Amino acid sequence: MTADDRKTGNPTASGEGPVPRKGRASRERLLWRFRILRLVRSSRVPDDDPTEDAAVRRRLGFSFWLAVAWLLIMAFVAAFAPMLPVADPTKVAFGGPREPPSADAWFGTDALGRDVFSRTVHGARISLAVGGFAIVFGMVVGGSLGIVAGYFRGRLDQAVGFAFFVLLSFPSLVLAILITATLDRSLLVVSLTIGILAVAPVGLLARASTLVFAEREFVAAARVLGARHGRIIVRELLPNVVIPMGALTLLGMAIAVVAEGSLAFLGLSVAGEDAISWGKMIVDGAGLRDLQNATHVTMFPVVVMFLTVLSLNFAGDRIRQYFDVKELAF
Amino acid sequence: MADLAPSAPLLSVRDLHVQFPTERGTVNAVNGVSFDLYEGKTLAIVGESGSGKSVTAKTLMNLLPRTAQVSGEVTYDGRDVRALAAEKVKHFFGVQMTMVFQDPMTSLNPVKKVGEQIAETLRYHLGRSRSEALEEAVELLDVVGMPEPARRVSQYPHELSGGLRQRVVIAMALACQPRLLIADEPTTAVDVTVQKHLLDLLDELRRNRGMSMILITHDLGVAHGRADDVAVMYAGRVVETADARTLFFDMRHPYTEALLRSIPRIDDPVHHRLDPIPGRPPELIDPPDECAFAPRCIYAQSDCLGGVPELSGLVGLHRFACLHPTGTERGMAAMSSNRAAGATAAGLPVTGSGGGSG
Amino acid sequence: MARFVVRRVVLLVAVLFAVTFLGFSAMNLLGDPLVNVVGVLAELDCEGIEAGLVEDTTVDAASRDCDTVAAAKAQYHLDQPVPVRYVLWVGDLATGDFGTSFQNDQPVSQVIREKLPETLILLVMAQIVSLGVAIPWGVIAAYRANRAFDRGSTVASFGLLSVPNFALGVVLLYLLALRWQVFPSAYEGDNLGGLVFSMVLPAVTLGLPLAASYQRLLRTDLITTLQEDFVHMARAKGLPPLRIMFRHALRPSMFSVITVFGVSTGALIGGSLVVEQIFGIPGIGREIVTAVVRDDFPVVLAIVMLVACTFVVLNFVVDLLYSWLDPRVRAR
Repeated sequence: MTADDRKTGNPTASGEGPVPRKGRASRERLLWRFRILRLVRSSRVPDDDPTEDAAVRRRLGFSFWLAVAWLLIMAFVAAFAPMLPVADPTKVAFGGPREPPSADAWFGTDALGRDVFSRTVHGARISLAVGGFAIVFGMVVGGSLGIVAGYFRGRLDQAVGFAFFVLLSFPSLVLAILITATLDRSLLVVSLTIGILAVAPVGLLARASTLVFAEREFVAAARVLGARHGRIIVRELLPNVVIPMGALTLLGMAIAVVAEGSLAFLGLSVAGEDAISWGKMIVDGAGLRDLQNATHVTMFPVVVMFLTVLSLNFAGDRIRQYFDVKELAF
Repeated sequence: MADLAPSAPLLSVRDLHVQFPTERGTVNAVNGVSFDLYEGKTLAIVGESGSGKSVTAKTLMNLLPRTAQVSGEVTYDGRDVRALAAEKVKHFFGVQMTMVFQDPMTSLNPVKKVGEQIAETLRYHLGRSRSEALEEAVELLDVVGMPEPARRVSQYPHELSGGLRQRVVIAMALACQPRLLIADEPTTAVDVTVQKHLLDLLDELRRNRGMSMILITHDLGVAHGRADDVAVMYAGRVVETADARTLFFDMRHPYTEALLRSIPRIDDPVHHRLDPIPGRPPELIDPPDECAFAPRCIYAQSDCLGGVPELSGLVGLHRFACLHPTGTERGMAAMSSNRAAGATAAGLPVTGSGGGSG
Repeated sequence: MARFVVRRVVLLVAVLFAVTFLGFSAMNLLGDPLVNVVGVLAELDCEGIEAGLVEDTTVDAASRDCDTVAAAKAQYHLDQPVPVRYVLWVGDLATGDFGTSFQNDQPVSQVIREKLPETLILLVMAQIVSLGVAIPWGVIAAYRANRAFDRGSTVASFGLLSVPNFALGVVLLYLLALRWQVFPSAYEGDNLGGLVFSMVLPAVTLGLPLAASYQRLLRTDLITTLQEDFVHMARAKGLPPLRIMFRHALRPSMFSVITVFGVSTGALIGGSLVVEQIFGIPGIGREIVTAVVRDDFPVVLAIVMLVACTFVVLNFVVDLLYSWLDPRVRAR
């Protein structure tokens, strides 16, 4: 078939009738589409390129592995930071204050003379721990709520949907502040807070894909065979819903890492002297004087954080394309 | 037709080739198409899906995607159309030649009122004021047989039925009195009941305005009685072209014959079996060096598989690209030898009832 | 259409109540507002003192500690259960009384009135920056899809989307205010010109990543729209490319952008907390952070409610905008 015929769905000479085209979508369907759109967009999932062929999406590519490599390095560094041969990140006057990068202190020292390299390495711990925990929490809680709501429909669905809607009505950072303001700022509380932010978007996605799969034959078949609800949910729906959710894990983690950074920047992330986080390091060096005289104090954590978020976004987007999640979301 | 026509054709296409590079290879959508269209005449281009007829039309209108590779000559009234398009000459497309698309559901902008969409052309090309253009839009809608035209101009496309929308599209195309109208399957997507109305309307408008028309269709029945000349396309080539009378009653190409057999006729007996064409149109990526229709042709002989047959004869005369044309002795001989063998040289089984030579 | 609007309004009101109630109970149950009014006195076991079981340790005989506590409780309705307090609070809100700051006894409404304009200007400027950048950017990228410019801009937008806005803010502050000194590094709010000028960097910080996501959405939708038959029809009508782009293709391609416009305002408000901090803008964002740090409940609560309600109403407006964009949504 030629390019234009494929597009217009040209009927053949054997005499098929007119091909039904889009454009007759009812208002409800359109609105529903926008709601899903909003969900997908709000989790900042970029759309697929319509000019790209499906074959291209099936390849992960070299840059994907580059991003994965960076993430693996970060994960390794975060896990084994205390055992690595780096200076004590909290040791004041490891060098002089605001020393530029040197052989001793690769990233220089901050206003208190602490080793910026060592702090950057240790900073990965909180960022990645909070990011990882938050997205797991969001998936477990949001995912289960979404599947149950999408499977049983009815009142339960309306109630869960309303709850998600209410959660989404808070700008995320404002909601996070509301929670961290009232509770002590331990690692668990901060992770939980950001996890709560993930519940509604993940839940809506899980609900949407459940709706799609609950209509499919294999679910109907299981129901006809007399399978109990729990079994259908766990055996038939869960494996299918987990794929789109899993494909968005890294993208969600990118958002969580940035959220933690923002909280830290505001001084509202994990409290304590040894709770080093990139956001906190950036704000520490962001005073005008420090910025002027000791740019390295902020710029190193900025660059490392940017590379990490970029890698998460890039690898996440590739994975999303690989599993073609948009199709499911719609 | 050559004897009746004025000296120079309005539109002349010579050796047109269109290729699309894709992931899987180069698609040869159009392979050396040539034809002439004279002022006030209708040329029907007939073929199955993928025969290259729509691509040909889009090439004429410069509507192909940028990736398409085009070669060949397209001359309109002595001017090189592709050069005009490349130089972005104003007021050529839409004024001299324009096009009506297959699906009125999608060829109107869903977010603009239909009156605006018609008036827009008038305002841009003819410099009409907003109110003048809207008045003219009402008149145009009246001309194309739209009921209550004054009310329709302020409606959105989704508020109209498919047939009415196609009337809007036709009104839009006619707005600047074009000399050439390309109608790409103008009735395929509308209800069967209004197809004939629309075709007759187009025909009538063409006559009244002395317009030329290229009517693209997969249905030879649509061309019948409306076209002066017919070109049958297959796999990106014109396989047979002649004036309508000759083509319908004295066709030479087996594909034309098969197309005619595949459409229902009013004088067919009830429950008459139509003869569908066996097989599917060929792939246009790396086509084999043989007659593209050979695998589906009940006349196919071994020499059909030895190379692509040339279109015989001069432009403007009855031309066909077949080594064993139907209605000739060579064709008869091919048919009977295939019947005797039970299969064609390309391996297509032939049974006794599988269609005789006209 | 009317029924649709009524249903949406009912939902809107329900969501507003749910949002405020959730926020209100969270603040009251998770924390203890009394502590913030009377400090350590909140620890006193006044019932025990009244009953004579616990010794009254009041130093100043003129005002007994327990009276102070009781007065505070009465003033802030802290002796009532949370749902009652919520109703009282909503009632006060309805009469324009947002409560009183624990910190300096200023009425919260006055605090908001003072700080809101700065934040509003910042948000509006940020949206202007992002739309102003994204629309031409997306149009050019879609028009020349998969050419060099488009490929470059895909990389650039990916990069921009991955910069946390606090990082971008710090980098911009360093480069443009300190190093090249194009913009002032300190906030100048004395006159409107200076205010707008010193808001440029903050607005760019907020708007640039948003522009990247707008651009991606617009480009994708435009590429799809440009393949639609009605665009071919417009070309067959002989209209020039720019006219087709802006008169025919742009509006039907704005759905995603409009959708994100609603959602992104939430992100911008969140971002304004950070950006106002970086650039020293005395706006709502900085106020709420300060209030959180000082446990100034009435201020936090009022601002959170204000922000959440704005957000909900805005998304309601966005829903209505769809019907302007696509008459098919309006009909039926």
